[in-house]
Amino acid sequence: MEQTKINARQLFVLIVLFEHGSTMVIPLGGEAKQDVWLAILIGMIIGLLLFLVYYRLYLYYPDLPLTGYIQDITGPIFGKIFALVYVLYFLYLVARVLRDFGELLLTFAYPETPLFVLNAIMMLTVMYAVYKGIEVLARTGELFFTLLYVLAISGMILVVAAKLIDIHRLQPVLEEGWRRVFKVVFHQTLYIPFGEIIVFTMLFPYINNPKKTKIVALSAMTLSGINLAIMMTVNVAVLGADAVSRSTFPLLNTIREIQVANFLERLDVFFMIALIIGGFFKIGVFFYAAVIGAAHLFNVKEHHRLVYPLGLASLLLSIAVASNFPEHVKEGVNIATVYIHMPLQIILPVLLLAIAWIRQRM
Amino acid sequence: MLFQWGLRKKQPANSATTKEQEQSGQAKDVPNGSLDTIVNVNIDIVQRTTGNSSDIVIRRFTIGEENPIHAAIVFTDGLVDEKIIYNFLLESLMTVNIPSSFSPKDLFLFIEQKLAAVGGVKHVQQWFDVFSSLLSGQTIIFIDGIPTALSASTKGGEYRSIEEPSTQLAIRGPREGFTESLRTNTAMIRRRIKNPNLWLETMKIGEVTQTDVGIMYIKGIANDEIVEEVKKRLRSIHIDSVFESGYIEQLIEDQTFTLFPTTYHTERPDVVAANLVEGRVAVIVDGTPFVLLAPAVFIQFFQAVEDYYARFDIATALRFLRVLIFFISLVAPAVYISATTFHQEMIPTPLVIAIAAQREAVPFPAFVEALIMEVTFEILREAGVRLPRAVGQAVSIVGALVIGQSAVEAGIVSSAMVIIVSITAIASFATPSFAIAISARLIRFLLMFLAAMFGFYGVIIGLLLMTIHLCSLRSFGVPYMSPLAPFIPANAGDTIFRVPTWAFKERPRLINQANIIRQGENQRPQPPDETNNE
Repeated sequence: MEQTKINARQLFVLIVLFEHGSTMVIPLGGEAKQDVWLAILIGMIIGLLLFLVYYRLYLYYPDLPLTGYIQDITGPIFGKIFALVYVLYFLYLVARVLRDFGELLLTFAYPETPLFVLNAIMMLTVMYAVYKGIEVLARTGELFFTLLYVLAISGMILVVAAKLIDIHRLQPVLEEGWRRVFKVVFHQTLYIPFGEIIVFTMLFPYINNPKKTKIVALSAMTLSGINLAIMMTVNVAVLGADAVSRSTFPLLNTIREIQVANFLERLDVFFMIALIIGGFFKIGVFFYAAVIGAAHLFNVKEHHRLVYPLGLASLLLSIAVASNFPEHVKEGVNIATVYIHMPLQIILPVLLLAIAWIRQRM
Repeated sequence: MLFQWGLRKKQPANSATTKEQEQSGQAKDVPNGSLDTIVNVNIDIVQRTTGNSSDIVIRRFTIGEENPIHAAIVFTDGLVDEKIIYNFLLESLMTVNIPSSFSPKDLFLFIEQKLAAVGGVKHVQQWFDVFSSLLSGQTIIFIDGIPTALSASTKGGEYRSIEEPSTQLAIRGPREGFTESLRTNTAMIRRRIKNPNLWLETMKIGEVTQTDVGIMYIKGIANDEIVEEVKKRLRSIHIDSVFESGYIEQLIEDQTFTLFPTTYHTERPDVVAANLVEGRVAVIVDGTPFVLLAPAVFIQFFQAVEDYYARFDIATALRFLRVLIFFISLVAPAVYISATTFHQEMIPTPLVIAIAAQREAVPFPAFVEALIMEVTFEILREAGVRLPRAVGQAVSIVGALVIGQSAVEAGIVSSAMVIIVSITAIASFATPSFAIAISARLIRFLLMFLAAMFGFYGVIIGLLLMTIHLCSLRSFGVPYMSPLAPFIPANAGDTIFRVPTWAFKERPRLINQANIIRQGENQRPQPPDETNNE
């Protein structure tokens, strides 16, 4: 286990960057049409409750990561299996986000570059950061957090200045009732990005001021939820609900609409910077969790020795995970949510908490 | 060698001398053991050890009329102030009248207490001490019958006088810069900080050169752990020679394989004084005007000394400009390459047509074009630095041909490229610290490669890698990107912003932990109270 610690501010920044991650560029909850903001905010609220479950578990075992206390709760044999499942889950998420990221780059700017090369460059960067440790990742986060906010605010000003926002596109609210909203919540927005906060259970032992963990994480999640809701709402207000739900990257389309003073136009670089920074932190946090989880599980003293093998494995997995982009998306929306995210993000943690609670009482 | 053997036979080395030997590492060159009682034997040893070097001046004389005692003084010509020797040592020694009853012992004490009218007089008994003081400008007085010599402080000789520093110029601010003399440099710092807590420790580094190295810090402000760390790293240096603080810098920095400097060097005493007050440690090396400051943080290389002398709004604007300049000097060619090769759609249409028209005649891809121009410029710059001054003008004329209209007319490069290279060059000159400008030079080429392969994706990934690397660096344990990452709100006022001077409430927290309050409350100037005026 690494001895370094991160402080509350760094945790906040990491959570915000992680939650924005790749979700801000994809049509998050686009199927909820103009009610997308509701879908995101409800997903966030349920996500906050889910976080309280993880936090309660963390309070039982403040010095152990998820893969550590899972062995304590379910016994050595099942515990090892579950811990391995979680390590593999994080690796799968690394590969998934990496594939998303590579496909986005491929379709929007580099149609002739091989996917493997684009992914490899990104993965090498992530591996370098994780090799240097959580402290470096957190400090990098502090720097890019500011940059991302500067980009977001100037982007927002430009969108408003270009008179792109049409409020009528957001109406009528709840056209098809709550049913559609909740369908989107339980099929997408709850798991991605809010349920993915489970990865931070691997990072909690590194926080130097554990008292602040709860409030910091909850406020970071709330901030990210609000930001994402605003971003998607702006997308809908600019492009219209239909265009957003059909688009692969609504944010890019919105940015491309910007035309101010015949000079500020084609700001694709904004999009690319946001995509790379967000993708980097999302992959970075998942990968770090996978690496320390594996190091903890297999008793590897220096976790950074696992960076290269696991990095290479997830790079190859990102290519092998689907044979083309539509398959990848379908897998993500229809299969991963129900068969992977739901059991690992909700069912298993809740069961763990129940067992831990009962054992505490006995 | 032969002689050393002879000496050992005469006087078996005791344990103290062996220790001395180990420390000095000079066992082969300097005779060990202590002095002889006979002056002529001692003089002989000096002559043989120095190989009869002509700048070692030996003056033998006798003291007293009736019962003359043989004596000699030895000094190194050029390192001493001859006037002091003639007026205050030689004259009084040669003209003094002593009673015939004086034993050599009495004479010795008499000289020490009455005759040697100079500031510092020390007893020396070991040959090692004799030579080290002789070669650093002391005058040695041998007296017959006593196995001890006197070492009188007569340092002097020619040094470059205090001049305006040639780097880090400032329009407003003190004009003096450090010289090659350690003592002059420490005096310049002391003149600025008249505080007994300003401590100076000296040690000798370099087994052959025995260079004096001073460590200066303010006790009670500097972090003791960092001071100890600096001393520990300096003590562990065992090399033959130290000619510049760069030797020390490379041996004490935290990480060798980085493109970024993790210690700061400066020629300006006001910069050193200001940093000492912030809690940093200065390492002053004899023989160079460049003083090292540790620990260094990244943002320090963007702070010019004038920022603190000018008003805060101007200083903040200039800081922003400098960060922009650094950024331009890093990415300008890379952005040009990626925009023209991969992302033509991001350039406004009229401009892209203009660039395409220019590039029509150019036979190379943008990357090769940029590489040719950048390398040409680096060649010009290198030539400009090393050239004798008289030839300088020729270089600038030729340079204007190579990077200019002729290059465009010859169809080798496009005029847009010339502009890009020129702005990069100017930006790289405008970076306030040469140490960081030179890092940008190297990284620029890496980014150009990435841009040629992956366009903006490559450039952004390159900058991301650079940022991760910067965040992973430490300088004497202090995170290199502090106070930005980790973010320390109390110190963030002196980074890319510069808050008004009255708002500098705390010293850098990571550098200094004991005494962080920098100034009193209510330093903000207020207009006079109106009721009092009436």
